[in-house]
Amino acid sequence: MMQFLTSIENTAFASWVRESSSLWAYPMILFLHTVGLGFLVGLNAAIDFRILGFARRMPLAPMVKFYRVMWMAFWINALSGAALLAADATTKLMNPVFYFKLGFITVAVINMILIRRRVFGNPSLDLSPVTSGAKLLAVTSLIFWTGAITAGRLMAYFGPVSGAPGLKNRIP
Amino acid sequence: MIQAFSTWLHSTRLSWAMAGGVPWLWPLCETLHFIGLALLMGIVSVLDLRMLGMAKELPLGPLQRLMPFAILGFTINLITGALFFTGDPTQYIHNVAFGFKLLFIGLAGVNVILFYVTGLYRRVDSVGAGHDVPAAAKVAAAASLFLWIGVMYWGRMLPFIGNAF
Repeated sequence: MMQFLTSIENTAFASWVRESSSLWAYPMILFLHTVGLGFLVGLNAAIDFRILGFARRMPLAPMVKFYRVMWMAFWINALSGAALLAADATTKLMNPVFYFKLGFITVAVINMILIRRRVFGNPSLDLSPVTSGAKLLAVTSLIFWTGAITAGRLMAYFGPVSGAPGLKNRIP
Repeated sequence: MIQAFSTWLHSTRLSWAMAGGVPWLWPLCETLHFIGLALLMGIVSVLDLRMLGMAKELPLGPLQRLMPFAILGFTINLITGALFFTGDPTQYIHNVAFGFKLLFIGLAGVNVILFYVTGLYRRVDSVGAGHDVPAAAKVAAAASLFLWIGVMYWGRMLPFIGNAF
């Protein structure tokens, strides 16, 4: 297993991401991961708030258009995340917190698909009050994304040290 | 003067607490900083993308009622950001990326202030479903997206262009 992770880490691409001093390597990929987070989680939260009754006079149905941006942000983060993971495969994949993060993202994305199908798929949406089932999905969405962000951040504080050379974990 | 201020700041109990005196305070603030980022970016991008023509069926007036969440996100980040600075002022005051981050936040602030004082806010507020906002509002929306993404860029570059952490 460790041998396999080491071989990922030693590929030319992974080494470049980790060790290049270029701003286009680790720093740019990390920036893209942040932009993706902002749009993916932020737009999900905006939809959740509307489902929960904020900005009630605004129709909910047109917000489905933002799913395109959300999916784009999701793929930016899946790809940038895969690159950051390859660069530090031996440390990140041995970090239990990483699996919490992946778990939260998995349930958050399933939740996002359920909102797309069950809430936006309802033909009488905006003609009748939002159902309690929809509100429950909005609440779980907010919880799962908060969990994903928290686990992602805490990866820098638990488990083996990773990240670009010179980036240090701060002992809390 | 900045040097003296940062030396004084570093001698406070709050600085000590942030810099490890209170275990897990720094990581907690970092996590909140990312949650605030998502709140701010989410609401700002919904508004800006709508003004730029996406999901045009959304009437702008009621949409602007989501703004308190953006303000909440900004406030969380202002407070946690100030706490990071307090915890370790020297890694920020000599940091080019930090200077640019503040500049971009300032420009984004000017953009918002202009949006209100020029009366653009009121004109946008009355734009209903299916209608375009005035061209000036589209410029403001594009500037807003550019500047906030820029803020994230400079924040991420703190350890790379600057020498923080």
